[in-house]
Formats: sequence, structure tokens, C-alpha cells
Amino acid sequence: MADLGHGGAGPDVPRESAAAVRRRTRLRRMGVDTLIYGFLLVFAFITLFPFMWMLITSFKLPGDVFRIPPSFRPSMLWTDTPFGNYTEVLFRFDFLRYAGNSLFVATIAATGQLVTCSLAGFAFARMHFFLKNVLFALLIFTLLIPIEITIIPEFLLMVRLGWLDTYLPLIVPSLMVGAFGTFLLTEYFKTVPASLEEAATIDGATPFQIYRHIFLPLATPALASLFVIAFITNWNELLRPVLYISDRNLRTLPLGLTALQGQYESSWTLLMAGSIISILPMILVYLAAQKYIIRGFISSGLK
Amino acid sequence: MRHAKITPFLFIAPMLIGLLVFRLLPIGVSFGISFTSWNIFSPPQWIGLDNYRTMVQSAAFWEVARNTVVFALVFVPLVMGLGLSLALLVNQKLRGSTFFRGVFFMPYITSIVAVALAWKWILATRFGLLNNALIDWFGVQSPPSWLGDPSYALFAVAFVLAWQSAGFQMLLFLAGLQNIDESIKEAALIDGASRRQVFRHITLPLLSPITFFVLIISLIASSQTFEVTYALTGGGPQRASTTLAFYIYQNAFVHFQMGFASALAYALLLFVGGLTLLNFVLRRRWVHYG
Repeated sequence: MADLGHGGAGPDVPRESAAAVRRRTRLRRMGVDTLIYGFLLVFAFITLFPFMWMLITSFKLPGDVFRIPPSFRPSMLWTDTPFGNYTEVLFRFDFLRYAGNSLFVATIAATGQLVTCSLAGFAFARMHFFLKNVLFALLIFTLLIPIEITIIPEFLLMVRLGWLDTYLPLIVPSLMVGAFGTFLLTEYFKTVPASLEEAATIDGATPFQIYRHIFLPLATPALASLFVIAFITNWNELLRPVLYISDRNLRTLPLGLTALQGQYESSWTLLMAGSIISILPMILVYLAAQKYIIRGFISSGLK
Repeated sequence: MRHAKITPFLFIAPMLIGLLVFRLLPIGVSFGISFTSWNIFSPPQWIGLDNYRTMVQSAAFWEVARNTVVFALVFVPLVMGLGLSLALLVNQKLRGSTFFRGVFFMPYITSIVAVALAWKWILATRFGLLNNALIDWFGVQSPPSWLGDPSYALFAVAFVLAWQSAGFQMLLFLAGLQNIDESIKEAALIDGASRRQVFRHITLPLLSPITFFVLIISLIASSQTFEVTYALTGGGPQRASTTLAFYIYQNAFVHFQMGFASALAYALLLFVGGLTLLNFVLRRRWVHYG
């Protein structure tokens, strides 16, 4: 925390008027604030700079990339094809299709997670059953296991099932093991007052009806958080596409991007345009749903 | 709620099956595979402890193990330090702190492949921005090849991953800071404590349960690092930036040595489990539960 020197009056300043003390405190506060803003701006610059450089490079003519000293001029904007790198990546290198694929996979996986996690969360929060605490602990325990420990048997299972080059391996494991989502919704459902479900039980509602018509509508904010987080996670996923997808028509954006990198290692204008295409939708989602995302991530860590 | 005994199991069935099939059983199956020689094209052969023997006798494994430890030693303090600093900065309730919080968290939600590419371009040896800035502004004669030099590549990967995920640690620290009762700090200030003393003796101890939690998840993130390595260096040059998680991937899915890779996976499990356990043991030394 910023602490600028000593604030107390020295012995050579015997007495100060109240106004002078106030003025000095205010000046000091302004000094501290300026320092904090200074740090904030430096960190913000470091955070945003790679994105700015990505954006500038994506609007450069290929010939302007390898200049020394580097140029910050998005030179393609002054030609008659200002979006030339983007159209090339989107159409010639099929990124439009990859974006569609990513959208499809992420939507299905995130929607599926809402269903499985809310069902499980409801049971964990509102019912008593055999081994409940053990199962819940096991679920949280799996969050601590690196994916590399379980990916080999998972891969062999997918081979056995004949699921290679389908979207099933990208969707099914992520949809069925929403440890984080189950935890999030369990905690949320625990906060619903018991009186609501008691009233519904007296009216003869089944547990499923209570889940469907009382708990799900109440959990809309938590469901929104989970959906956005699961969507972003699945959109950005790389390991499973690398393992399971070799058909180029099925590539997701991160996979398409690494393939493009392997093929055209120094076509930085295209690579940066491809990068922008794969992060821009998530940044827009983030800007639109920042509140839900941040709330969801915070409750992922804390009760 | 009144319900039949079977009802809750119907509710958790999809998740429970997934948990068993994709997370719990594979942990056991991996262990079995680690005693075989198996390239998946022909049936597995039981070879007992050979994989483990080969592993501990190979120089490559120890190099990778050392990389894994060094990576954790660099990444974990870096990301936690950054996360805590950012949290303290945006917790000052100045105008615009919500905006800055949003900015700092942004890299976390973007594709690591894409941001790793941007960093690769910034860190490039000859045409990279960083080296050109070092030459032009700081008069460095021959700046290093950050991703191509074995003595820097691992650190570059750790830095990029810390840059990308510090926003998440920030959020967790921030939530912890906001849980601290302001009146305790004010009381200490009135009693004549300096701001530094308040931070050292009140804020940090009250924050320690969160710090512990962040430490654990950072260690786990560090040990399963795959994507950033894949996109930034491919584990190279040679094996200089290969950590265990990436080495497992290479052995299993590039060389198709499922048995050996599974043995490596168990080495990783031992590493993660050991560290987590150690932290839980050491916890009572520095974590305060109010």
C-alpha cells in the first residue's frame, strides 16, 4: 500500500491551525492518489499493450511487418482493402467456419453444463442422501487434479468409442463434469429460503417441479454467470481439440490458429488478424456480461 | 423436502457418471497403463516397473522435472505478487477503479493461443518490439533471443502465463480484501499505527486464508501448464521450456508412448499432491482463521 513518508508534524512545527492540517492531509491524499493512478496506468498499459500491438499488426501490409525500427502505422487502412488481412483469414483460411464451429461447441457445452450442474447442485443443496458429502468432496477434489493425469485414459476411451473427429469429445466431458458449476450452483441454491420449497411441497409439487419452477428461475443470475464462464472456457479450449480433431473442417478457432501458425509462421499480419478474430467475440461477451463473469469467478473461489 | 430415496441420485446421475468416467476412473486406469508398454496401435504389454525405471534413469526426465520446479518457483510468486498488487491498487476506491479492474481481468478471458502469439511477436529476436526498444532506448548491444535461448525460454513462458492469469488472482484477493472489516483498520490507525503497520499486521494476516487458497490454485495452474507452452515455444529450444505436463502430452500424443506417459502422469500427480499436502501442513504456521 502506498505510504508517502511520514505525515506527523515534526517537533519544529509546534502548532498548526486546523485548516493547515486539513490542507496538508488533502495534499498528501492527492499525492497518494497520483501515485496509485500512476501504477494503475503502468499496469493497464502492460495489460493492454499486446492487444494493441495485435490490432495494429492485423491492419498492416505484410511488407511493413519486418521493419526496423518497428512501425506503429496500420498501413493497410490506407489501401482500398483496409480489412484485407481479415477477409483473407476469414475466407481463404476458413476462420469463418472455425468461428462457427467454436460457437457451436461452446454453446452446446455451456448449455449442457447448465442442465447437469443445476440438477446436481439442487440435489446437493436441498436433499439428503447416502454419501452426499463424500461425493461432493470428490467433485471438488477433481478440481485439484491436473487434466494431464486423466487425459490419456480419456483419449483411449474416445478412440474406443469412435468419437475421434467428432465434437463429442469436446462437449461430453466438459458438459458432464462441471465441478466448478456444480459447486457454484450448490452454494447458490443453499441460500434459497426453505419456506419456498415447503409451501410447494404442501401443494403437492414433485422435487423436479420444485427444481424447475422455483429454483431455476431464482438462480438466473448464477446460471448466467455459469453460462458465460463455461462458454468462454470452451471457446478457448485447446488441448482437447488438438487431441481429437484432425479434420480441418471441424477445427475450432484456437486449433485453426495454431494450424495457421504452423503453416505460415512469419505471416504476422494474418496471424494477428486470426488472433483478433478469436478473442474479439469473447471481449464483447465480457464487456456485455462483466458483472456476471466477475461475480461467478469470485464465487468460484469463495463461499 | 420429501422425496424418494432414489430421487437425489437421479438428479446427480449425469454429473456422477461424468465424474466417474472422465475423472475418477481415469486416475486408476492411468496407474494401470503406467505398467505397460503401449503405443495404442498394438495391444499393451505388461512390463512391470520398467517405465518408472526408465523415467528416473533418463536425463531428459530430470531436466523436465527441474524445469517444472523452476517454472513453479517463478510463476507462482510472480502471479501472486501481481495479483495482490493489482487487488490493492483497485481496492483504493478511486474513480475508475472498476474500469481498471475490468482491464486487468481481460487477458484471463481471452484465448491463450491468441495472446501467446501476440507475445511471440513482441518477444521475437530481430523484429520483436521488446528487443528493438531495448536497442533503441536502452542501448543494449545484442538483446537475447527470449524464446530461442534455453536460458530465457522457460522464464518467458512463465511471464506470459502470469501476465494472462494475474487478473484472476486479483479478483480473488480483491474479494478477500473487501471482506476485511474496515473498522479494525481504522481502530489501529487511530491508535497510532502507520499504514504500513496496518498492512503488515492486520491486512495480511486477515487475508491469509485467501492467500492460501490462491497459492494452491496457482500451484495447480503452474503444474498443468500446457496451452501457453504449446503456442509459445512448443517446449523448446530442445527441452528448455518443457515442463512435466507438456512432456506428458508429447510422450502420449506425439510419440504415442502411453505407458511411459502414464508413468510421467503419476510423477506429476506425486508432485502436485506432495506440494498441496505440504502446504496444508505448513498452513497453520501462517494462515490465520479469524
